[in-house]
This record gives sequence, structure tokens and C-alpha cells, in this order.
Amino acid sequence: MEAQKREIKRKLRQLQSLPTLPPVVSRLTKLIGDENTTALQIAEVIEKDQVLTSKVLKMVNSAFYGFPKRISTVSSAIVLLGFNVIRTLVLTASIFEMMQSEDLGLWEHSLGVAAASGILAQHLELKNQEEVATAGLLHDLGKVVIRAEFPHFYKQILRLVEQEKLSFLEAEKQILGMYHGEIGEFLVRRWNLPERLVEPIAFHHEVEKARKYKKETAIIHLADIIIRALGYGNGGDPWVPGLQDKAWRWLGLDRKDLEELLPLLDERLLELRFFTLEIQGLGFA
Amino acid sequence: MPKICLLLKEKRPAWVELFEKEGLEVCCDYRLPEAIDNILSQPPDLLIIEYELSPELVYDLLIALKTTLYLPFLPVLLVLSATEFQLDWERYPVDDFFSPDILPPELLARVHLAFARARRLADNNPLTGLPGNTSILKYIQDKLDKGEEIAIGYVDLDNFKPFNDRYGFARGDEILRALARILTNVVRTYAGDQGFVGHIGGDDFVFVCPLPKAEKIAQEIIDHFDQVVPNFLDEEDLLKGCFISEDRQGRTCRFPLPSVSIAIVPNRQGRYKHYGEISAVAAQIKKYVKQIPGSTYLLDRRKAKN
Ligand SMILES: [Fe+2]
Ligand SMILES: [Fe+2]
Repeated sequence: MEAQKREIKRKLRQLQSLPTLPPVVSRLTKLIGDENTTALQIAEVIEKDQVLTSKVLKMVNSAFYGFPKRISTVSSAIVLLGFNVIRTLVLTASIFEMMQSEDLGLWEHSLGVAAASGILAQHLELKNQEEVATAGLLHDLGKVVIRAEFPHFYKQILRLVEQEKLSFLEAEKQILGMYHGEIGEFLVRRWNLPERLVEPIAFHHEVEKARKYKKETAIIHLADIIIRALGYGNGGDPWVPGLQDKAWRWLGLDRKDLEELLPLLDERLLELRFFTLEIQGLGFA
Repeated sequence: MPKICLLLKEKRPAWVELFEKEGLEVCCDYRLPEAIDNILSQPPDLLIIEYELSPELVYDLLIALKTTLYLPFLPVLLVLSATEFQLDWERYPVDDFFSPDILPPELLARVHLAFARARRLADNNPLTGLPGNTSILKYIQDKLDKGEEIAIGYVDLDNFKPFNDRYGFARGDEILRALARILTNVVRTYAGDQGFVGHIGGDDFVFVCPLPKAEKIAQEIIDHFDQVVPNFLDEEDLLKGCFISEDRQGRTCRFPLPSVSIAIVPNRQGRYKHYGEISAVAAQIKKYVKQIPGSTYLLDRRKAKN
């Protein structure tokens, strides 16, 4: 297993760019072709795609711009990179050559977690709500990496989930010797993303490991569970993981808070459905 | 060691070897998306790019490098076959071109010439890469001589000193670079090639644009700066909405968070003849803007006294 882990990390070090869903890119390309499109409209679409969001953040935090590990939101990245750089980034984005039906499920799951994280951050009156939503969007980036870079292992993991009734995470550990939290962490650290995004991505399944951003990590952990419980999108397996005690305590929420939040979330998820339906329509038309 | 980047249609090991023998670091990537990613995040010192690779993408990349990454002096050499010589040179921001079957000695000579030309031109600020005082003065004086209706905006950071005291100079430099990016992008968006951004030094910047665009540009610089600034602050200060730091006498004081002040001097009907007059007027307006808390701009609306 150790040799396997080393081999995976070696491949990750060479990873240049992750593919995203073709319909997202074609929608953006259309927007960019229209002279009247504003940076804000482009941001709105990029913010709904985990791969493009990570790409934009990787670029704005690269050493060249001179403020590494600082920028954690797409809106700030767009303001700092400028329209032309964003345009070039989108036009050169790579896409999945074959979009599978699970892919859309994984994207929806991430979008759902982003929405739930944002709502939780708002309820807890955190200062950096947009950033927490970004962390939610990116939290399962490791799964995209497995899907795109290690398709063979990805199939094995899915088979194990189905046949042995294992959780996706357990199956990842058996097949790869590591799981998507570690893979995501490895990459976003290499890309100079801010620590406030790194910790939730790395530790949303092991909140006790969070150091500086405990609240943020706990929010993503809880949001992940809520979205799975609601059956929104596809997190890789049909089971809802248990809520870690520590996370619940760090957030200081109770049942009543949740009852207040769920209708807000429902409304937001419904809006997102329109987006994913549109994407789906574009993809399979 | 200067880095030279090749973006070509086909592999040319002979060129790579030629440059490496000259002690240049060569990067060549043949997969276009990755290559562009790399160039935009780690720009080389010189770029050789082949037009036929993808005319559209090549143009987009050049515009991104030259105008939005403030690398106006990055030398770009275009590889062009004889059938394409009638390019629109006004539009194409390249420094030189040559044909794919150029002989090695000529190729080397052109590369060295391009480096030398870039060195002669540079009075850019080392921190932000923006044009420095010589270029600023020349640009503005030139516009005044032509009597153009322009506005000159003087931008500076409020509470930069306490920011540096609180977080250190390295983070101070980061925020100046971020402000430089914002200025460049906003001026580019609204004024295109009618706009100019320069770095006077320290936390003082200047922009020039057509008069009717000035207020829109100033407001957007303010909005974007205020949006980006939380990325550079620690959570506790954001929550408090101020810093606690020591003043010059060593007393503990509360300072507001960083903001930008912009003093705009309009050149209506060729009112000013010399750059010196403009900076004198700017100094007066600055005094007023600085007194207003938060990010603000002020446009001089006083009528000429003659
Ligand atoms: Fe996860
Ligand atoms: Fe998840």
C-alpha cells in the first residue's frame, strides 16, 4: 500500500489540469463570446463548478502575482486576474471526453454542500461566508481527481461500494491506501490555496484534525451530511455518514437552528436544480 | 538565467539546443492548454510563439500577457510563414516576427536584440511591474501637449503605515500588488488602450483615462479594493473592524482598516499645460479626500479662474 501511495502522489505532482463537465464549459464559452457579458456573470457560472473554481484560485495564488495563499473567493480572483486572463483560462479549460451519469451527481453534491455551507455560515454570522461556501464547493475535489486521473481505481471503488456495501471512503482506503480528503489536501497545498480552504477540504471527514479553521471544517462536515441526508446529488454511496460529536459542539447549534435553516436550504436547492437541469439538457441533448 | 518559452506547432529540438547552448533556460510545452496555464502563472522572459498554432488563441494570450498582466515589455517573437505577412500589425502586440525556416545565427541575433530592447525600456516599478515616474511624466505631458480631455487620478492607500506595523512589510507588498492588479484591470475594462496606469512609488499610484470615464473608473476601483481587502486581513481584525497598533509616540491607538482615496484632476479644454500644475492641484484635493473616512474619490469641479 505504501508503494501505491507513493505512486499516486507521483502522478498528482505531474497533474496539470483537471477536466470539467463539457456543458459548463460550453455555457461559459457562449457567455464569453457575447460582448455584453460582465465579469460578474462569468463569476456566477465559475462559482458553480468545482474544477474551474480551483483552476482560477490556483492561478491567482501562484507565485507570479505576488500574494500566494491569500485569495479564497472567485469574486476576488476575477477582480485581481482581470477579464482577459479569465477568458483565456476558460477557453483553454479541458473537459471530460466522456461524461458519465455519476459525474453530474458528484457536481450536484458539491453544489449542494456549497449552498448548505453558505447558509450555515450566514446563520452562525461568520465574517467570511463566501469563502466557506467555496470550501464547500471544493470539499470533494479529491473525488474528481480519482475519477479523472485514476479511472481504473475509480471503477474498482464503485464496484466495492456496490458489492460489499462499503462506504465510498472505506472503499477508497482499501483500493488506494488513501482517501479523497488526503488527495484533495495534497493538491490544494501544491496549488498554494489559502489554509482556510485547505483544512475543510482535508478534514471534513476527520474534524478533530482541524487546527486553525475548526468552525469552517465543522460546517463543511455538517453540510455534507445534510446534503446526503436530503438525497441531493450523489456523494459516491447511498449512506449518510455519522455526525461527529466535536463538530456539533464547535458549532453550538441545536435542533431548532436546523429547523429554521432547512426551509432556506430547500429554496436554494430548488434554484440550483434549474441550473443543473439546464446543464444536463446541454450535456445530453 | 533568463527563461525563454517556445510555443510551436511542431517540435524543434535544433532551436532548443541552440538556446540552451547560449545559457538560456528553455521551456516548451506542446499541449496548448497546459502551456497557456504555465505561461500565465509563470511568465517567461521572452516568448516565441507560432501564429499558425491557433490564430485566435495566440491573439488572446498575447493580449492577456501584454495588457492585463502588465508585462508590456515582455518580448514576443511571432513565427509566421510568408503567406501570412498581411497581419493587422496595429492589433497584434508582438515585437518582431520571423519565418519558420530562419537560419540559426539570425534567430539568435533576433533573440538577443529583443532582450536588449526590453532592458532599455524598463523603468517599471520592481514591486508591481507598473511603469514608473519617467513613463508617467512622459505619458501625461504628451496628452497635455495634444490638449486631450483627460482625467488624471491619484490613488493612494489610507492607513498603509499601521497596516505594515500590524502585519509586516511582506504583507504590505502583497496588498500593493493587489491594488496594482485592480487598477490595471479596471482601467483596461473602461478605457481600453485610452487608459494608463503607473506606480509613483510606495503606496502612490496614478491612472489616466478619457474624462467621461473617470468617475466610473474611480468608483469601481474603490468597490473592487473594498471587496478584495478582507483576503489580506486576519479574522480578528475583520471582526473588530479596525487594528490596534502603536502610533509614532508609542501610544496604543485604533486605526481603521485600509481603504483607498482617489483625487481626480480633470483637464477640461486644455486647461493645464504642464505636468507640474496637475500634481499641485492633486495635492490640494488629496488633503480633502484623506479626511473622509473609508474609500472615496473626489473630482475637482472648481472652475478655472481666468
Ligand atoms: Fe468527502
Ligand atoms: Fe461530500
